[in-house]
Amino acid sequence: MNGYLGKILRVDLNQSRLWDEALNEDYARNYVGGSGLAARYLYEMLETSTDPLGPENPLFFLTGPLVGTSMTSAGRYSVCARSPLTGIWGEANSGGFFGPELRYAGYDGVLITGRAVQPIWLSIIDGQAALHAAGDMWGSDIYTTQTRLREALGDSKVRVACIGLAGENKVKLAGIANDHGRFAARTGLGAVMGSKNLKAIAARGTGKVPLYAPEEFRTTTNQILALYKDDFPAQSLRAYGTAGYVNLSHMLGDLPIRYFQLGEYAPADDLSGVDLSEKYLTRNTACHKCVIACGRQTQSPTYNDSKVDGPEYETVGALGSLLMIFNLEAVIHAGHLCNLYGLDIISMGVTLGLACELFERGLLTSADTGGLEIRYGDAEVVFHLIELTARREGFGAVLAEGNAALAESAGVPELSATVNRLEVPMHDPRAYLGMAVTYALSPRGACHMQGDMFNLDLGQSNHEDVGLEPGDRHDNTFEKGRTAARLQAWRNLYNSLTLCQFENPGVQPLLAVINTATGWGLEAEDLMTLGKRIVNIKRLVNFKLGLTRANDRLPDLLLKPLKEGGSAGYLPDMPTLLAGAYTEFGWDAESGRPLEDLHLVP
Amino acid sequence: MAIKFPSDEWIKELSVKLNVSESYAKAAATWEGDNIFVVLPDADYADTTYLYINLQHGKASDARKLNSLDEQKALFTTSAPFNTWRRVLEGRLDPIQGMFSGKLKLIGSMAQVQRTPKATYEMVKVAAQIDTDFGS
Repeated sequence: MNGYLGKILRVDLNQSRLWDEALNEDYARNYVGGSGLAARYLYEMLETSTDPLGPENPLFFLTGPLVGTSMTSAGRYSVCARSPLTGIWGEANSGGFFGPELRYAGYDGVLITGRAVQPIWLSIIDGQAALHAAGDMWGSDIYTTQTRLREALGDSKVRVACIGLAGENKVKLAGIANDHGRFAARTGLGAVMGSKNLKAIAARGTGKVPLYAPEEFRTTTNQILALYKDDFPAQSLRAYGTAGYVNLSHMLGDLPIRYFQLGEYAPADDLSGVDLSEKYLTRNTACHKCVIACGRQTQSPTYNDSKVDGPEYETVGALGSLLMIFNLEAVIHAGHLCNLYGLDIISMGVTLGLACELFERGLLTSADTGGLEIRYGDAEVVFHLIELTARREGFGAVLAEGNAALAESAGVPELSATVNRLEVPMHDPRAYLGMAVTYALSPRGACHMQGDMFNLDLGQSNHEDVGLEPGDRHDNTFEKGRTAARLQAWRNLYNSLTLCQFENPGVQPLLAVINTATGWGLEAEDLMTLGKRIVNIKRLVNFKLGLTRANDRLPDLLLKPLKEGGSAGYLPDMPTLLAGAYTEFGWDAESGRPLEDLHLVP
Repeated sequence: MAIKFPSDEWIKELSVKLNVSESYAKAAATWEGDNIFVVLPDADYADTTYLYINLQHGKASDARKLNSLDEQKALFTTSAPFNTWRRVLEGRLDPIQGMFSGKLKLIGSMAQVQRTPKATYEMVKVAAQIDTDFGS
């Protein structure tokens, strides 16, 4: 089975039982890998009665056919389950080296059910899997956990995916960390891991990924590498990281400020990624076989942080401008706290933003917060609240349930900045109207990784031969809806391969890589078919779990025009945009269900 | 009367217009760097032309056509075929979109461009106000 190891490790924590299961070859051929393949498997396993934090919720770690090969930026993995934060399809993706190491250890993925009686961790070393008591490692931060597991296994090359305190405490904003501070952050899957009493998975292997045509594959991947020498987006990401976009984002009205209510505010330019690199960067970090190296390792002397992973653009927005904190060192420190405890920075920031807004409006008082005054711009309170959230202590227990729950508890659901209960990332859909489609239809709730219209309309990630061309970001048309749907399919294919979205070599090089890895003999149009099939299976999972067409919407907060900045006055025309997307996906206009025969194959 | 693009007269007119633009002066207040715009041949233009302009703190100076890149060093060099420049100047191609998509090739301090993107936008806005003759 070229491109695959052909094996899934099954783990039943109720029985402490481990066994190998053959990868379903038909599923792999039709859903590729990563989150697409996971959706096909979990479609059969998830029911409306599945408690996201119950032992029955299956937790699936999966890689794709390019992971662990010489293909640049293909070192990612997906984690999928029913989300405890949203109640629907849960999916998180991360880079680094854990995914490749899992494959070198002999597995395409790990499917975990049940709940261990005591905290445990799982080792997977060259085809041999074992469960171990976590002992006093339970309670450790993510960095300590990774170090201790490498020491326990006596191998510095062991790669670890683990949870921090937030996951252990089943905080619904908890993510899963790997390779220092990289995160499969979204939809609260760290809490699912915590609910299973599973602290970590450690992988190490010496195997290789079988390829259909190894020589041709290597030639193609080398040609792709050469493309990045003079590539402007790649150069920008290398120099300034994802935060290099901050100033441009601010100018365009894409950077959320003051809980999505200000379109422009001069101090936001102080959060520049250029300044971040010039003043606080200690080194770049890169994922497996990546030549871009967008990762940041920074310091914040004021807070005595000498080695911090990040901040990313999303961190600068969620823990900076959104909260009216315009001090880069404070943002670095807040991001570091989230990393240590294993929290999803986007969800944490957007939940804190709502707390600030509620306090500002008098809908939340210090009587509700254990005496805390939660004001915009107060970094010290943010630091404290992050810790309280991870520990589920005091007002942190309220924040631990997420933004939508906080808005509901305050009696103002209209102030929630979520789609299907997942917090909106740091790309304002009023700045790129195609993002309104991405958010409204994203299978996991508001997510910028399910269709990066901001990149497409900026001129990146254009793939004309599959109908992805940059356009006017404020185009409010049926065609824009169709384009956004195509991009969602395209990125769902990426999340199944599992390939970094900064890797955009073009359709033909990508096709050559897939075909020489797998021997599938795909044509360009097949790629879009695969992407749409993957979107459809996730949608069918969500319909099974209770979603309907009525869930395809943006929060009220984002349907009010901004008064200032580069997107002032713009609002997405949701009926028109969604009609375009439905048509592109082949969904029934009334029910929103997939009509075309792109799902449940075989 | 329309001014031919690319030409010495056109780049000098850009300098004049930038120096009276309040919005450019504000957007480019921290901008430090001279530019060479390289117009490359394509189906509608046979030559390679170099237009130089010095831009410092929202003001323009020393605008002129160069005979070659050897004649003047500059912090930024932006190159594109004639029709790509035309699309930018006619508002059909966003300049940042042009850079990210590789249609406009930029060599120079990326820090400056990324820290003050508005300076680039305002300069293009001003350039678009020139009554330009593209020769067809």
